[in-house]
Amino acid sequence: MQHILVTGASRGLGLAIVQHLLAQGHLVIGCARSASDVSHPHYHHFEADVAIEEQVQALFIKIRKAFKYIDVLINNAGVARMNAFALTPFKNMRETMDVNYAGTFMCSQKAISLLRKSANPRIINMSTVAVPMNLQGEAAYAASKSAVESLTRVIAKELSTFNITCNAIGPSPIATDLISGVSEEKISRLVEQQSIQKMAKPEDVLNLVDFFMKPQSNMITGQIIYLGGIS
Amino acid sequence: MTHNEIQSLVLAAIELTNQSREDAEQVPVSIDTPLFGKQGYLDSMGLVALLIDIEDMLQDQDINVSLSDERAMSAANSPFKNVSSLVEHIDHLLKGE
Repeated sequence: MQHILVTGASRGLGLAIVQHLLAQGHLVIGCARSASDVSHPHYHHFEADVAIEEQVQALFIKIRKAFKYIDVLINNAGVARMNAFALTPFKNMRETMDVNYAGTFMCSQKAISLLRKSANPRIINMSTVAVPMNLQGEAAYAASKSAVESLTRVIAKELSTFNITCNAIGPSPIATDLISGVSEEKISRLVEQQSIQKMAKPEDVLNLVDFFMKPQSNMITGQIIYLGGIS
Repeated sequence: MTHNEIQSLVLAAIELTNQSREDAEQVPVSIDTPLFGKQGYLDSMGLVALLIDIEDMLQDQDINVSLSDERAMSAANSPFKNVSSLVEHIDHLLKGE
């Protein structure tokens, strides 16, 4: 049984990851701004906003006290607001950067001491195909995830001393809350640009989570794997 | 936490760090030991490991403090230059200075 921390755990992909890891018999610590509906003896939920340093600090103090260590940190918490660059309010850009990039930065930093106590410590970040595809209407979102990708590569180098691997998953469009505001036509056009021209499923992401978590994946770090054949 | 208690904690953290270092890389457990920078015993990740150990030991005493500092990698005035400056740095942080 591994100790796995999942941020953004209350819905969408985060919830799917939580349920998947619980089904595998792991102890899962979830965090989200809201409460969780998950009821499982191995699930422990904390309400925290990853964009607020004090809340992240308090979260990791509680985790340390309750669980001593973690094996895996999955930085899944994210926000996406599609809008034309010219029309994107500064406040929305700031919030996107704060949750997607700063949240990943702070959680990864605070997790180092807990991960060091694990035999196979992992950080798994979430990116998006919007980065390599430079998608219109996603200036703030794609830039925040581009920052996450750079962070992933730098962390991979710096934390290899502690045997911590750090990789990222770049999902192609999946029907989750995150893209609920995007038109079907836009999604179809996007999917047509993929090598594999179909919508991804949460299972495709879960497969990569499993892959990065495997002890045999200890030579894989600093990698960004996109779904759908995007490169 | 008194200055002497902080000093003892830092020296204990160095002893802990030494447990995972090769014989040739042992860090002298002394207040005069240069830690980081010119003639320092630690590289940047060695310093990170030591600071994480110190933060952990402080947390065991319910003291939550982040030792990160924008001057960390500064050659001129890094608070991590030697054991003595590190103890001063922690003392200032705990006093909220």
